[in-house]
Amino acid sequence: MRINCPHCGQRDRREFYYMGDAVAITRPAADAGPDAWDDYLHNRDNPAGDTRDLWYHEAGCGAWIVVARNTLSHAVHGATLAQKAAS
Amino acid sequence: MARLIALGAFGDLLPLQTGDVTCTELTHETLFSIAPYRGQHKPVSAAIKSQLGLSLPAVGRRTIAGDVICQWIGHDAWIVSAPVMLDGLAAVTDQSDGYAALEIAGAGGEAVLARLVPLDLRVSAFKINHTARSLLGHLPVSITRTGAQAFEVMVMRSMAASLVHDLQEAMAGLAARGSA
Amino acid sequence: MGYSGFQIIKEGLFGQKGWKPLWRDPAPKPRYDAIIIGGGGHGLATAYYLAREHGLTNIAVLEKGHIGGGNIGRNTTIVRANYFLPGNQEFYSHSLKLWERMEQDLNYNVMHSQRGLINLFHSDGQRDAFVRRGNAMINQGDDAILLDREGVRSHLPYLDFDNARFPIYGGLYHPRGGTARHDAVAWGYARGADQRGVDLIQNCEVTGIDIENGVVTGVQTTRGPIRARKVGIVTAGRSGQVAAMAGMRLPIESHVLQAFVTEGLKPVIDHVVSFGMGHFYISQSDKGGLVFGGDLDFYASYAARGNLPMAEHVMEAAMTLMPMIGKARVLRSWGGIMDMTPDGSPIIDTTPTKGLFIDCGWCYGGFKAVPASGFAFAHLMATGQPHATAAKFRLDRFRTGVGLMDEEGTGSQHNLH
Repeated sequence: MRINCPHCGQRDRREFYYMGDAVAITRPAADAGPDAWDDYLHNRDNPAGDTRDLWYHEAGCGAWIVVARNTLSHAVHGATLAQKAAS
Repeated sequence: MARLIALGAFGDLLPLQTGDVTCTELTHETLFSIAPYRGQHKPVSAAIKSQLGLSLPAVGRRTIAGDVICQWIGHDAWIVSAPVMLDGLAAVTDQSDGYAALEIAGAGGEAVLARLVPLDLRVSAFKINHTARSLLGHLPVSITRTGAQAFEVMVMRSMAASLVHDLQEAMAGLAARGSA
Repeated sequence: MGYSGFQIIKEGLFGQKGWKPLWRDPAPKPRYDAIIIGGGGHGLATAYYLAREHGLTNIAVLEKGHIGGGNIGRNTTIVRANYFLPGNQEFYSHSLKLWERMEQDLNYNVMHSQRGLINLFHSDGQRDAFVRRGNAMINQGDDAILLDREGVRSHLPYLDFDNARFPIYGGLYHPRGGTARHDAVAWGYARGADQRGVDLIQNCEVTGIDIENGVVTGVQTTRGPIRARKVGIVTAGRSGQVAAMAGMRLPIESHVLQAFVTEGLKPVIDHVVSFGMGHFYISQSDKGGLVFGGDLDFYASYAARGNLPMAEHVMEAAMTLMPMIGKARVLRSWGGIMDMTPDGSPIIDTTPTKGLFIDCGWCYGGFKAVPASGFAFAHLMATGQPHATAAKFRLDRFRTGVGLMDEEGTGSQHNLH
């Protein structure tokens, strides 16, 4: 699997660290209540198909990126900086 | 102020020569990382231009003015080899002792790196003053082409000996094979 | 049909023509007392124990593919009871006891081989951790023996004891640990359940779960609707998709775990061995192949195949531990889909829907859990109360933070297990 880093271009998967579903960049408000926080921290759609997840270009430029990817085929459709995806 | 003697990060591990490939230490007496605050990229570039005579390079590039280099080093981060004043514009951190740098030179340099780095470093794809972050073996490095047959490799100082070990092995392997 | 030595000799003499299919191929009935979604190891064991322990025989197991085609056929076949934390301890201890009498219970050869499992350690700190684990195992009533370096050498002379970076200090020996023939376990439970009247319905995919006023009433399938007042979801690897039919989101992310097998070799590794410093474990199958695996590929995946970086890492670990393995040729590799929970431990619980139960989240440890998972889930489905050995596998432990079972000690977070 090769991931298209917005800074560095196509790079091998081993340069990246996986953080999980990109839900992590849509954090609930501090006073959203325990159910919202439980859902945010633990529960996942976990799709068999297209997904968006968060990776860290650890052995590269150090950017956090949101990768659009397919969990069945391992095809990588694209990636954007988490900085942009979150703003 | 007394001028201290700079001791290299590589001790007596360098220089190395195997076949036509040489590996020598490069000393940057000062290195500062620059991380512009949000929205301050242009003012930082202008300030560096006026102070050092060079601008912040694009992603994957290095700029040079005299003996001062300024190099992209990662996401929203650059490294410069001379002191800069960027109060209120960027986080500037002294990295002088943080990095170790060496030069790999010679006709076989590309072939040595090809054994260790998963990037296309041929001159057609990776030109002079192109720079990239990637892995060399298992080490995160910053690689820059400095000449037609020369590369600079920067690594965190604690990994200096591991870097030499990996390069030495690749150089020996290449030499033993007789050609790339 | 029972099995006996006499029958095996007789069939051997007459061309093996007298064997009959191990289970019927029934059409689904319109109504059952209980439905189990998922004909893998856990689902079949659940059906078997529902029939045997609770007298519930008007039940169906619905399988979208074929019996034993999921993770029960895609693992490294290791059976052990060497867990450290309360919750996991009593459960896996119970499971190993069920393994030890499984062949007699089922009258079926699952090739369970208690050849002993040795977890190696490579530092003083790791020795301390294994001493603690060993004591916990002994307190639970299981077996654990601390081996020093020479003790390990007497069992495993072929290891590299003096690797510069990871010298072997010793090992924790679990003599009752071992392996079993993975798909025979599925076939044995399938046969046992079928003999007790359970309908095993293959090529029958559940497409919807019917719920009225918060109470489950049945399921929709590719072979028509089936009604039942009790439905159990036992679909590790696809838990999220099935649970979504009941409006649930689960604390699960699916990851791929790879395993590898070499060409068949003469007997050389007569234990299960795990490396303490790289993620690597190995045993030799009865066919002679060296079966080994490593850690997750560490990204969400349903692909049932992995990527090369982890394959490379596993091979590196293998070469570090036992350089002789470099001579063996890898025949094939495969991947299984792991239901990963935030704390790395499973879930056997009721759901907000009355009559709907769920057994999922087996992470990378589902195979050894097959009998106890079936036993406990059958108990829960039959009585509505959790079985004592699985009472801590609660679905709400992530929300409340009470009773998390984080064996790796890395924190209850998705990307850390």
